[in-house]
Amino acid sequence: MLRCESVSKRYGRGSWILQDVDLEVSGGDVLAVVGGNGSGKSTLLRILVGLSRPTSGQVAGRPRHIGYVPDRFTAHERVSALSYLTHMGRIRGLSGAAARARAARLLDQLALVGGRDASLRTLSKGNAQKVALAQALLVEPDLLVLDEPWSGLDASAHGVLAELIEEVAAGGGAVVFTDHRAAITETRATGAYAISGGRVSPLGGGHCGGRFTEVELTLTAPVTGAVPREVNWRALPGVTDAARRDGAIVLRVAREHSDAVLLTALQHSWSVESLTRPGVDRASRVGVGRAAR
Amino acid sequence: MIALVRYMFTVMLLSQRYLAPLLLFVGLLAVLTSSDSGPLAATYGSAAGGMLVCSVWLTMALIGLEDQTHRSVVVVTAGSQLRVLLGSVGTAVLWCLPLTAAGLVLPLLFGSHTFTFADAVLGTEAQLACAFTGIAIGVLCSRLLFRRQGYALLLALILLLAVLLAKRVSPVNVLLADLQNASGSTDLLGSTAVLLAISAGVLAAAVATTQAISVRRS
Repeated sequence: MLRCESVSKRYGRGSWILQDVDLEVSGGDVLAVVGGNGSGKSTLLRILVGLSRPTSGQVAGRPRHIGYVPDRFTAHERVSALSYLTHMGRIRGLSGAAARARAARLLDQLALVGGRDASLRTLSKGNAQKVALAQALLVEPDLLVLDEPWSGLDASAHGVLAELIEEVAAGGGAVVFTDHRAAITETRATGAYAISGGRVSPLGGGHCGGRFTEVELTLTAPVTGAVPREVNWRALPGVTDAARRDGAIVLRVAREHSDAVLLTALQHSWSVESLTRPGVDRASRVGVGRAAR
Repeated sequence: MIALVRYMFTVMLLSQRYLAPLLLFVGLLAVLTSSDSGPLAATYGSAAGGMLVCSVWLTMALIGLEDQTHRSVVVVTAGSQLRVLLGSVGTAVLWCLPLTAAGLVLPLLFGSHTFTFADAVLGTEAQLACAFTGIAIGVLCSRLLFRRQGYALLLALILLLAVLLAKRVSPVNVLLADLQNASGSTDLLGSTAVLLAISAGVLAAAVATTQAISVRRS
């Protein structure tokens, strides 16, 4: 459906925020974009929804109904939450009554505290975030884009958010969200990308579906001085990537095969330096792995 | 578009930011047209001058109301940046309509005039021409192009002076000069309608410029 082709972005003559980003989202996908603070996640989302124009490259196939939830929804307005949502529904082409009914149902579902008739400016961060979420879902979106949607929401709203995301995906809509924690993307997304240094690369199962469950295994020669025996790592089942870095070997292994690969490594006298889930804290390693491939 | 204008009108109404320009307009009318018994054309020229200043203020306040995040949400909801910008302009024009009505009626109360239908048409044309030019300046000096309000205000003042003083170039200058020297309203209806159309063109150009620059920067 939505396709980014070598999208790059920078503001004025500043440094590049995104470089050569290729990304594809189809209906039913739930895609996570994981990256640290200031890694360009929000810029990527703004380009996806059409708020920002890429400096080079293009975005094709942007659908008509897009729901966008910004990361900060600081509301200065005096309109009430319900009235705001009714207005947004009307702008999306709903009748006033339909918009009001849909808004009321979403606010009930998200358990807005502070009252639906409270003005937006009096809402807390979490509750404002709920209003932001509700406005994106007034009309079943073909593309739902959420910028760090879990931050600020209470635990009970987490479950509702996951349900809402699943509903959109089940209805044939695509969902793209960002987060700086890999853990949340693991349980919620069907595919994930890591963003680091302006580059976007597939994480784990990538875009082919299935929950992304991969581990990154770093092996070195043991400190005892024993020389490990060479292994054809790529031939092992579940190994998606093998790269050599500073004398260490970095393997990407599917979670279900990681134990077997680990055992093989130990049997061949390799020492385990680290075992991590590729995510935000290791996002830079993804780039290293790709460069060495 | 109606839903968009309705939303923006409501937000402006609840924010009460319309109050200061509205009071300024009524104040200007009171000062410029009280105890006046000359031809209404000249009187409505004063009202149009007041409208010019107030429409700039109204437009800048209207567009400045929402922060960038909120505007982003409205842009995605409405489907395009241009549509939201046109919505802002439409809302500004809508706010200028009651001001125009006040500009027509209040001078009759403040002074002593014989009111004809031609006067009403001329007064409406003149005030709307100035409102369009004012909204054009307001859009160019709005938060869409200027993050710093000081610079925006400075540019707005310079542009206001330019359209008031540029002889034979600015439709506002030509309009106000015509109205001051007119003896009857009927003679000026045609030329003022042309100036109104030119002002609408100026507004369209300002919208196109603002859109082009803000899209480039986005």
